[in-house]
Amino acid sequence: MENGPKRLIARYAVDRGEDFELITRFDDGTIRERVSKEDPRAASIMPRYPAAIWFERKIRDDFGIRFEGAFDQRPLLHHERWPRGLHPMRRDVDVHTVLELSDYRPYRYEAIGGDGVFEVAVGPIHAGIIEPGHFQFSQAGEDMLHQEVRHFYKYRGIEKMLEGKTLAEAAPVVARISGNESVAAQIALARIAEAAAGEEAGIGIAARRALLLESERLAHHWTDLGFIPNDAGFAAALAYASARAEEVRRWMAEWTGHRFAFDAIASKPRPWDPEEALRRIAAQREAIDWFEDWIVGIPSLWDRMDTTGILQRFDALRYGCVGVVARASGVALDVRAGEALYTDNGFAIQSEESGDVAARFKVRIAELRHSLELMERFVPLCTEEPFAFPEGGEGAFESFVESSLGELYLAVEMEEGKIRRFFFRDPSFINWQALHRMMPGNIIADFPLINKSCDLSYAGNDL
Amino acid sequence: MLRYWQKRFRTGILTERPEFDARMKELRKRLKKGIAKHFAGSLAIRMVDSGSCNACEAECNALSNPYYDLERLGIRFVASPRHADVMLLSGVLTFNMLPHVLDAWEQIPEPKWCITLGDCPVMEAPFTRTFAIEAPAAEHLPVAHHIPGCPPSPDRIIEGLLEFLEKLD
Ligand code: SF4
Repeated sequence: MENGPKRLIARYAVDRGEDFELITRFDDGTIRERVSKEDPRAASIMPRYPAAIWFERKIRDDFGIRFEGAFDQRPLLHHERWPRGLHPMRRDVDVHTVLELSDYRPYRYEAIGGDGVFEVAVGPIHAGIIEPGHFQFSQAGEDMLHQEVRHFYKYRGIEKMLEGKTLAEAAPVVARISGNESVAAQIALARIAEAAAGEEAGIGIAARRALLLESERLAHHWTDLGFIPNDAGFAAALAYASARAEEVRRWMAEWTGHRFAFDAIASKPRPWDPEEALRRIAAQREAIDWFEDWIVGIPSLWDRMDTTGILQRFDALRYGCVGVVARASGVALDVRAGEALYTDNGFAIQSEESGDVAARFKVRIAELRHSLELMERFVPLCTEEPFAFPEGGEGAFESFVESSLGELYLAVEMEEGKIRRFFFRDPSFINWQALHRMMPGNIIADFPLINKSCDLSYAGNDL
Repeated sequence: MLRYWQKRFRTGILTERPEFDARMKELRKRLKKGIAKHFAGSLAIRMVDSGSCNACEAECNALSNPYYDLERLGIRFVASPRHADVMLLSGVLTFNMLPHVLDAWEQIPEPKWCITLGDCPVMEAPFTRTFAIEAPAAEHLPVAHHIPGCPPSPDRIIEGLLEFLEKLD
């Protein structure tokens, strides 16, 4: 597998007027193909790259391009009552088109047949305060035989929404694609702007961004470190960890004027007190040490987490998984490992081998601690230089950022300073597709625990 | 576990900013009174995300952290709409969610109220209209109250709920 296929990062299409262009981004380069508009067809790569399934189904819905040799041809974004034949990413479809409900076409869920096997349907609205999505389980009693994830209930049409806008106009929307990776998305857009202007952020700006990016990671990892045990019935961990996440949100509010740092990357830094920042970071370092020390001594919790929801390394590679999900299965993949600011300040990839809930939990603890160490080094480097989106921009640009959920990939095509095509690949778009590989051999009661341990975004996935 | 209880007793109730805590204390008192008066001491909320960026949900979850601890006041986020008094609606109401949101609303027994949460459902967040967006929510549901913000912070959500209760007076 190691020398096997490359990693599939993204596959998407662009309407070129005369025809379509199909763009496939691998870790070692980009492949471009022309697809005729008369008879829009292309060869499927899903048999070789399982994560291509959603990409190709999405392209089909967006543009009406059919994939030959694709074993899954079901619609993805277009749900039961979507107007027939409407492919909204085609340039001749107006972004303000008012959709009429069509007749109801049932969706065929993946299901396993057999004596006594039954299906459980969950969603799209779930119990609790969670984003909407649908999970379909094939069950043999308690045991999950298979699970299908069905999403795009939150599909807002963001890619099309941003066409024709300048980067500065797009920025507030980009900050709100997915609240749990807002800083990462804002940085991705700022890097696109810098690439378009042929510039690179100075160390002071880069350090300030990194400080916010790591703060975002802290808030999320703390929240997960609380919710994972909570889903295993250990609520005290949530009380403790959610209070730490709240502290991070409060300092983000002080530093940026916003608890999630929305719009902070493109606005003028506020005056701040680096000494105070260092004190808070130190307090959090104590907190994570205390938390780890406490939580390792709770055997009934580890009993639930150990060997639960295993993602084999083989599958993590096959699907091209990213983020904590990949790293907990022994895949050393982290965008930060290629960034000078990080490597110069002692960055090291945190990983585990066992691929289970426990491994993902441990990686989060290790990363949280490491983020705090890095932040201590970033604080003195930060400057208060403002960043502003340069005007103009022509050509195709891309950027990668390691969000708290994993590698975020953004590709933007600019024409006379306006966005011509906006393509955003959320880390969760890949990881959601691998989720079902963690289910066989586990009971349905462990599903929430497994799902939470992966911390996946619905909003960023659905766009 | 013992260590946890030691820490628990040493820490006591979390406070950080005295003015903030004094304001929260006052809000809590009034909220508790309003809930006692209009909802027999227990207000059940079904939160429905109709296409949010998920920060509005994160702030609702934060209401349960030890700094806010909303549950103490008799506010519960319930799983089933059939147990709910209020539907708290976040997000831009997508084309794909609309039928499900209306389903959930129908399942809530009368009397019921719909409260919109955050700038999205009133189309005041930075999103511009697309084919996939059906907001403003008031075109599809009888909205009784709105809590603005992007996202509204936990204390703003508490204030918003209080304003809603005062409307019922
Ligand atoms: S109102 Fe703002 S914070 Fe809330 S869901 Fe919408 S964009 Fe996100």
